[in-house]
Amino acid sequence: MEMLLLGICLSILGLVVSASAFCAAARSQEKEPAARPEIAPVKAAQATRFFAAPPVPKPQPTIPIEALLLQIENHVRLEQAAAQSFIDSPNPAVLHSKTTSPLVN
Amino acid sequence: MSQRPELLNGLSDEAARQILAIGSRTTVASGAELFRLGAAADSLFVIERGRIRLTLPMQVRGKEENVLVEERGAGQTVGWSALNPPFRFTLSASAALETEVIAFPREALLSHFARHPETGYIVSMNLAAVIAQRLQLFQAMWLREMQRTIDQRCA
Repeated sequence: MEMLLLGICLSILGLVVSASAFCAAARSQEKEPAARPEIAPVKAAQATRFFAAPPVPKPQPTIPIEALLLQIENHVRLEQAAAQSFIDSPNPAVLHSKTTSPLVN
Repeated sequence: MSQRPELLNGLSDEAARQILAIGSRTTVASGAELFRLGAAADSLFVIERGRIRLTLPMQVRGKEENVLVEERGAGQTVGWSALNPPFRFTLSASAALETEVIAFPREALLSHFARHPETGYIVSMNLAAVIAQRLQLFQAMWLREMQRTIDQRCA
């Protein structure tokens, strides 16, 4: 009988110790995320090339200067023609008529 | 030039002949310069044949380029800065193709007008018409450009 009572007491004691240990462990897990420092997002690894210069951005395609000057000349001619139309027939609609010049369209 | 130059409109044949006798014909090779912006303007030019390009300098991609402002043909007048103080060309002129011009020195013209005031009056009126035409044309062009600027800024 004494042995049985001793066994029961030891079992209860073990249960209490186990329960308190479990509660302590659960509390520390709940607190951990708040205390954890924020991890920086991982950047995509850039391809590196040994012994090679870094890539140079491609220049924007530009029209040749001669073509640009021709466009300007064409624009002036079209504008003069439009202005002359206004002088020949003065009215606001003619004054602000559109031309096909690529410099203004 | 089949017709009478615009500068001599309204003159009698004799008066026109006297004016033309003052001028001297000059041939300007294709692409060659007739006068340059800022240079002393001592002569007025009437185009006998060919075409003259009037240009102004403009910065295009960091480089100065002569940009066409106006083109004048046979019978038309260029270089009227020669008759207006401070007698400096306000444009550059070059030949678009081989061009023949009649150059009228200012001093010779003015002394002829002093002797023939009626001729001087008619030529002055013709010149005023040329200047007025340029003014009206560029006034309209300026307003068109202004309208585009306003449209862009207020869009």
